[in-house]
Amino acid sequence: MAGSFAIVEEPIDVGGLVSAAQRPDCGAVSTFVGTTRIDESDEASVEYLEYEAYRPMADRKLEEIGAEIEERWDARHVSIVHRIGRVDPGEASVAIVVASPRRGPAFEASRYAIERIKEVVPIWKREVWSDGYVWVGSQVGTRS
Amino acid sequence: MTQGSIRVLFFGAAADRAGVREAEVSADVATLDELWPLVEQQHPDLSPMRGTLAFAVNGEYARGGDRVSPGDEVAVLPPVSGG
Repeated sequence: MAGSFAIVEEPIDVGGLVSAAQRPDCGAVSTFVGTTRIDESDEASVEYLEYEAYRPMADRKLEEIGAEIEERWDARHVSIVHRIGRVDPGEASVAIVVASPRRGPAFEASRYAIERIKEVVPIWKREVWSDGYVWVGSQVGTRS
Repeated sequence: MTQGSIRVLFFGAAADRAGVREAEVSADVATLDELWPLVEQQHPDLSPMRGTLAFAVNGEYARGGDRVSPGDEVAVLPPVSGG
């Protein structure tokens, strides 16, 4: 299976990932892009997200998700790229691209990949609000 | 790293609570369950998080009864929140 798995510190080139996945034996390329959303509450709002990863375990877990997809679906190309560090509103924190001969497996596999990332890949995000920060999932931080 | 010690890494909210990103524990412990009280002793602010934490030994998820040995790297992992 072709593709790539990476954790990067710079903006993700989503277009490049999609182009790389297009191939003559596949009629479907499914792309999922997770982006930073501005949440708001009362007087405060999210200014940006900051991600950190436990490497190289996180890199290896991304590759394992690729292997799981290969076992379950006819995916000919899978790329999963997760960004760490500061990610500003609207920017991509994660991109998943799956090419398959038909659309069903492509959709299913890309959905599977994002759900697995949220279960097993040792990456954490911190929401930096205008009035403090909070670690998502742990509710530890400085927001009052 | 001191010969014979276990290197403990903290991430995310656990690093926040511990106030450090890594620590060394040099003691005769055989399992994660035996290691944890020593980590907690060094970093008592981690105690309230204990129920939410997962662990990795040398880069792979591990459970409380799993073995740890001198020279191992143990990671303290809060609930992951990638994506």
